[in-house]
Amino acid sequence: MIFLQLCADGLLLGAVYALFSSGLTLIWGMMNVVNFAHGDFVMVAMYVAFFAFTLLHVGPLIFVPLAAITLFMLGVVVYFALVRHVMRGPMLGQIISTFGLALFLRYAALWAFSANFVSLPDTLVGGVYDVAGLRLSASRLLAGATALVLTLGMHLVLTRTDLGSRMLAVSEDRTAAALVGIRPDPMQALAWGIGAASTGVAGALIALFFYVSPEVGNSFTLLAFVTVCLGGFGSVPGALLAGLAIGVIQSLSAYFLGPSTKDVVVYALFIVLLWVRPQGLLGRA
Amino acid sequence: MKSLPRVLLVAVAGVLVAAPFLSDNPFYQRIAALTALAAISASAWNLIGGYGGQVSFGHSVYFGLGAYSSLLAFTKLGVPPIAGAPLGVLASFVLSVIVGLPSFRLRGHYFSMATIAIAALAEVLVTNWAFAGGAIGLMGPANARSLADLLFRSALPYYALFLVVLGSLLALTYLMQRGRMGFYLRALGSGERAAESLGVPIRRYKLYALLISGAFTSLAGSLYVVMIGFIDPNSGFGILVSVNMVVMSALGGAGTLFGPLVGAVILVPLEEMTNALLGGGGSGAAYVVYGAAIMLLARFSPGGLAQWWSLLAGKGRRGAA
Amino acid sequence: MLLEAQSIVKSFGGFRAVDGTNLTLHEHELIGLIGPNGAGKSTFFNCLAGDALPDAGSIHFRGREITRMPPHDRARLGLARTFQVPIVFDGMTVRENVMVGAFLRRPHRHAAAAKADEVLAFTGLAEQANQQVTTLGTPGRKRLEIARALATEPVVLLLDEALAGLTAEEIETAIELVRRIHASGITLIVVEHIMEVIHRLTQRVIVLHQGRALAEGAPAEVTRDPRVIEAYLGRRAGRHRP
Repeated sequence: MIFLQLCADGLLLGAVYALFSSGLTLIWGMMNVVNFAHGDFVMVAMYVAFFAFTLLHVGPLIFVPLAAITLFMLGVVVYFALVRHVMRGPMLGQIISTFGLALFLRYAALWAFSANFVSLPDTLVGGVYDVAGLRLSASRLLAGATALVLTLGMHLVLTRTDLGSRMLAVSEDRTAAALVGIRPDPMQALAWGIGAASTGVAGALIALFFYVSPEVGNSFTLLAFVTVCLGGFGSVPGALLAGLAIGVIQSLSAYFLGPSTKDVVVYALFIVLLWVRPQGLLGRA
Repeated sequence: MKSLPRVLLVAVAGVLVAAPFLSDNPFYQRIAALTALAAISASAWNLIGGYGGQVSFGHSVYFGLGAYSSLLAFTKLGVPPIAGAPLGVLASFVLSVIVGLPSFRLRGHYFSMATIAIAALAEVLVTNWAFAGGAIGLMGPANARSLADLLFRSALPYYALFLVVLGSLLALTYLMQRGRMGFYLRALGSGERAAESLGVPIRRYKLYALLISGAFTSLAGSLYVVMIGFIDPNSGFGILVSVNMVVMSALGGAGTLFGPLVGAVILVPLEEMTNALLGGGGSGAAYVVYGAAIMLLARFSPGGLAQWWSLLAGKGRRGAA
Repeated sequence: MLLEAQSIVKSFGGFRAVDGTNLTLHEHELIGLIGPNGAGKSTFFNCLAGDALPDAGSIHFRGREITRMPPHDRARLGLARTFQVPIVFDGMTVRENVMVGAFLRRPHRHAAAAKADEVLAFTGLAEQANQQVTTLGTPGRKRLEIARALATEPVVLLLDEALAGLTAEEIETAIELVRRIHASGITLIVVEHIMEVIHRLTQRVIVLHQGRALAEGAPAEVTRDPRVIEAYLGRRAGRHRP
């Protein structure tokens, strides 16, 4: 019974991981630029949610979309101000650019908000539901369900809409896409916007039940990397499956091996994965 | 006429290097020692990250290895901390082989990510390892039992020691850069497929660079604890240790001989002085500036100051012609 | 027989780019590899060079099997290649670029520099030796590709569309360079689109089409072959002899 409970909790959290990891895989698949600041985007979203609640007294119905929009704009700005230029330059510049962004966001938050944790009250989305003998908290249910729906939505948009196929074309072959009249710049900016928006939603949802602190960025970034690697670089369905799997793995190892090991298991898995099967479960090699 | 700027540069450098010996300001001497130490790590990183083009964000693993080897040797075996340095270097060789061989198959971004994960893993593992002092860390000798403990009251002897190590590393880098290894590293850093078609054994040379880079970084870690006398998971394996190496090299010019040193000369005094002015809380602000600086560098001048310098020098030459 | 490829098959996803192609190369030949776009030339070329590993078939070079050998070992054995889109080592001068190739046989700096200068003179790049490689235009970069490969002192040189994108005058110089390379004792395979070059340089031509060798022979014969014309221009063109 405990096992099922752990799995259920893991799946719910894993769905949220899947959501922001889908954003990372979208960006990475589109333009071979790794967003080392992805986890810090999630952190920013968490603070947006927190401040929206404490200063504007609005609930998740408002602050989740608010965070999504804010992060969308941040993503687009980052693309035009930074990424677009470094992509044309040497590899060192490409790699350190988003790393610099991560540092900037993290330490700006540390400086502005100090290292103290803050959190949203438990009662915000209150209640615990009893579903077939499993105790599921309403906030986690909301987060998991929303994340799942949005991740599937992202996948559908990419594969079933015109816009989506244009984005996929640019990710396959930027030059060829340009030759058939698809301008890469707006598509890539959009990818950054959507990718960042996914962290916006995910972060705002996570804030419902996790503490908020400037330091969480690093572990979320690594989590996103593991998920993307496991699921396959460029694959949203892969990120979904992998996210769910990682959520369950974390949940189980936290219980059976101790809470401090939950990160260790994920990092170790990541390292093994990179060496054994870098293209992941569903990825292109 | 062209040689005048060079002569001037050498003279200025000479003055800067000698100055701490001639001054009697302990604060200034301490900064000089810390600068030299940072320059060692940054120059070591430069071998694999600058020349080899494999950007490691996890070099703190090596630094921590060296630091912990030294203090473990002291606390468990009673030997002077510096005697633990060879152990650290040996451990770094092993780590380089285990880490390097598989990850050099991976494309650039994957390698960088792997280094972040490895460093994060190391930090968590050490924090939970009671033998190594857990979250509290380890301390060095409180009183000098012999000269070998290298416990000095002034920062000057440390400065001298670090200069010797830095000088050796730079000399080694210079020789490497002029020879086949240097050419092969630079080639694989800027055109791996072409380099391979010309006979460059890619993985082998990346590994050579990593072995040397890791060894000197580990040595820097040992030297750090010799001077500071303390290590904990954060100061040994923390991400900021890695970040410092990357920023200093990138600022001065990754892949150039003196780039990391220039970066260290600019950033270490800056950081120490902001800390002194703003108290401990200042370090948060420093990293905001670092982050912004990295982004600006990446966006406008990935080659760092060295890129500016050669542009200036190029203009000068054209002017003279 | 210097280089032999037998029944090479290479697929990408579901698509068979190379479908059972053979090639034999004898010492001192200068042969051409042609075919319409999508014929599998690049893929086959990459299999020979070591950039791609064939799914089936074998390649032998100087008596040794090299089918799965990585490119750097092939270079060591004496098989060199150039890239269609030149890859330059930026941050280095023209001479330093060529030295990267020279270091293969000459581990010491002075010897490598001497060899590089020799090759630079041979390929007409001596004047630009000290320039940053990024100052070279496309024709210079193509010549640099060749110079670097020559510095490895190869026995066989594979040229991948080394003359594409050049002006008529530059093509003349390039043809003359290829002739000199051949005269110095190196065996060559030249992949080209420009028929004039093929006619003037090569003794034997292999035509690839849909992953297979369609025809093989002297350039004049092969270009009159109706099957070849059909492959390039389509069915109806093949029916009418020019």
